[in-house]
Amino acid sequence: MPDLSPLYGLLAHLLPFDCLQDRFMQQALAGLLLLAPMTAAMGIQVINFRMSFFADAISHSAFAGVALGLLLALDPGWTMPVFGVLVGLAIMLMQRTSSLSSDTVIGVFFSAMVAFGLAIISRDRSLARDLQRFLYGDILTISDGQVAALMGLFAALMIFQACNYNRLLYIGFNPTLAQVHRVRVAVLQYLFAGLLALIVMFAVQAVGVLLVTALLIVPAAAARNFARSAGAMFWWTLMISLSSAVAGLLLSAQDWARTTTGATIILVACGWFALSMAAAARSRERLA
Amino acid sequence: MAAVDLLPLNGLLEPAVRFDEVTVERGGISILDKVSAVAPQGSCTAIIGPNGAGKTTLLLALLGEIDYQGRIVLGAEGHPPRVGYMPQRLVFDRGMPLTVSEFLVMGFQKRPLWFGLNTGLRRQARESLALVQADHLADRTVGALSGGELQRVLLALALQQEPDLLVLDEPSAGVDFQGELIFCELLEDLRRKRGFTQLVVSHDLATVTHHATHVICLNRRVAAEGPPRQALTAENLTAIFGMHMGLVNSRSMPSNQAACSAPCCQEQSDA
Repeated sequence: MPDLSPLYGLLAHLLPFDCLQDRFMQQALAGLLLLAPMTAAMGIQVINFRMSFFADAISHSAFAGVALGLLLALDPGWTMPVFGVLVGLAIMLMQRTSSLSSDTVIGVFFSAMVAFGLAIISRDRSLARDLQRFLYGDILTISDGQVAALMGLFAALMIFQACNYNRLLYIGFNPTLAQVHRVRVAVLQYLFAGLLALIVMFAVQAVGVLLVTALLIVPAAAARNFARSAGAMFWWTLMISLSSAVAGLLLSAQDWARTTTGATIILVACGWFALSMAAAARSRERLA
Repeated sequence: MAAVDLLPLNGLLEPAVRFDEVTVERGGISILDKVSAVAPQGSCTAIIGPNGAGKTTLLLALLGEIDYQGRIVLGAEGHPPRVGYMPQRLVFDRGMPLTVSEFLVMGFQKRPLWFGLNTGLRRQARESLALVQADHLADRTVGALSGGELQRVLLALALQQEPDLLVLDEPSAGVDFQGELIFCELLEDLRRKRGFTQLVVSHDLATVTHHATHVICLNRRVAAEGPPRQALTAENLTAIFGMHMGLVNSRSMPSNQAACSAPCCQEQSDA
């Protein structure tokens, strides 16, 4: 395991807040600075592909993934993301091959995943205590190993986005048009689903099952109201996501706040969304 | 459907597309029934037929978007043609912040759009827009375009593919008179210059009569096929559309245009 102390020291130096002098806060900040750009970039496509329900279904499969790990005496830290990716790919396969509508397919998987997780957990009452951690998330307990894993995922995802952002935009615009004009729609959709599932599983640990979809879609939704081009939308989403993550972490650590970090991050992002709605309304008035 | 004799094909022209007994069924209902037809190389082939005849389904089968039985051969063996496609109604999210320039460039540019548009590709996009008289739309968002403006931008996108086969589904639907004129004349001019094959679904019999070099009359089956003068007879049209068709008669062809109501002919007669 690489020593990440120099990274944490640098973060504490760049953001010299009292609350960031504790190592667990530095770890949380590092985790969020890696996670926020990933959820921002993927969130743009989640909105373009209308896949917020997909992200919800994956996040709810976290229960089943953890329960499966505990049942099979395997590390839940591995079974959860692997199970999430498999569920994501299975949903995509069903969506592409079945005549059922997309939300029906996801709804079926969603229900199956929650029922499966609850069924296993209900066999062992002690497991139920772990559920709360996944419902609400806790970025403050992130370990060095998880930060290192996030670094690897960050590198892979940014390479994927840099190579495929334009094509994913094309598919989000209209998959038939993209397919005819030589974009490899199926391959990119499966890759996207797999990567999204992985990121959702990491994000669950930060903000919890209940709020993970918000982390993906709220910054991108707010950015839509500010941006006038696809290029600008990326930078707006990134800025809103990062500022929400950092501000949410700092605010939640204040004595007068003492709120859950994940929920505070989402509230800051929702503040951005409210601001964006006001900006969009003003822009419409000017044009009228 | 009334029995209509198949008309002879365009002699020795090599087909750019060959439909070979193409059958499509959905829920036990036959949408296309053993459709066999060709689009000759370099031709403007029009597919006409009443609503529900399977015209768009045939195009979707050609584009690989739906499953079908039979065979569709594109171009020469081992050399799939570059296809440019202009859909009839594009379903997309109008709230997406995407400029027309980005829309035209995103299929060609490797560098992500967040690093800006490549200068050469931006110029190329502007040239394509100028070709369809839509260069003023370059900085508009795609979602803010009217139906006619969107059709022009989609045509610019299809032409940017430098296609060997240009597939157009109701290209003039929702387009104003001026726009239809651009579509008619521009496409004919480009087809002659670049030598691509044009496969177009159209309801506008007058335009088909004037511009198509080959016609496939479809009503789940091929009812007639051949040059417009031979395929678009009053008998065939009545058989396909199931009613008296007074709009077109086989003598109102470009050689004696008096009765042609296509926009280009109207423009000429107004001048």
